[in-house]
Amino acid sequence: MTSRTTTVLVGVASFFAGLVIPVANAQRASGPVKVVQLTGLVGVKDNAKGTLSVENGQLHFVHGKASSDVSAASIQDIATAADSQRAIGGTIGLMSMAAPYGGGRVLSLFRTKIDTLTVQYRDADGGLHGAIFTMPVGTSEVIKKELVAQGAHSTSDKEPAAASAASSSTPNKEQKQ
Amino acid sequence: MNRILSAGFRLFLFTLIFAASPLLAQKSKPTKIKAAALQVEMIQSDEIKLPAEFQVALYENLIRQLEKNGFSRVYRDGDRNAASVADLVVLHSTVRGFKAGSERARQVTTVSGATSITVHCQFTSSDGTSLLEQDVNGKVRFFGGNLKATYDFAKKAARVANENFFTPGRE
Repeated sequence: MTSRTTTVLVGVASFFAGLVIPVANAQRASGPVKVVQLTGLVGVKDNAKGTLSVENGQLHFVHGKASSDVSAASIQDIATAADSQRAIGGTIGLMSMAAPYGGGRVLSLFRTKIDTLTVQYRDADGGLHGAIFTMPVGTSEVIKKELVAQGAHSTSDKEPAAASAASSSTPNKEQKQ
Repeated sequence: MNRILSAGFRLFLFTLIFAASPLLAQKSKPTKIKAAALQVEMIQSDEIKLPAEFQVALYENLIRQLEKNGFSRVYRDGDRNAASVADLVVLHSTVRGFKAGSERARQVTTVSGATSITVHCQFTSSDGTSLLEQDVNGKVRFFGGNLKATYDFAKKAARVANENFFTPGRE
């Protein structure tokens, strides 16, 4: 009887922990955030996975051994938006399209929410660049605030959900409807 | 003997007609405009509300596709180096139509949820004289995320530029 009660209590505690921990992670302030750079950073391939952080007035993206920096002062505009992507993507997601009886279509209904961060910045010659990142929910606003605090400019201060009407370039992203 | 000559003459006429037709077709092609370099202005979307990621993806894909299509000197919006270039062609792009679509709807139904974007492209000289104006659209109908429409647009716009402009030394 005691072991059964303990099991139930542990189960309930795990359930609530599962609900609380992602929220806590999403609200985490500084530190590197796992992102996907969809396009725009000089010398970085499209859809490159890496970490993004704001350090010493620089937007710092690390991809493997390579890294790319954008000065916060050179940033002309930052926009955040809410988005979603297929829960099962990549090769498996593509192969699932061929599953019989519409199995692949059912899988495409399962989606995870993500944030997008769009940054427009100028290089040393004055040329305008744009970079797009996708990242876990709740982290884009934190990075935006840090960048603005360190000298970046932002023309829109709308809420991410309100500003969203788009999707990302990777094949498994979709706009929030 | 006469029959052989007549048949030979007919064969010669046929050959002449077939050989001449591509040459005549080439003559009807529009003459290309000299463009030592291209400068791409940031995509404008004053009338239509376009998400920032679409605006940036259109701009970045456009520059990349122009470079891929043989324009060795493509300058970005605001690049100071472009000011001193002779025969500079400036590309102004304005969004005229946008339908966000839905990747989920595309995957589930196959027939609905298409994303489409229409952009008015205006090529001008550095003094602002219009050289070419054309609407170019980008679409994603079946596979891929919504931003894939920006890639489709960029490829088509680069093709338009390639068909109407030439870089000295390239051709």
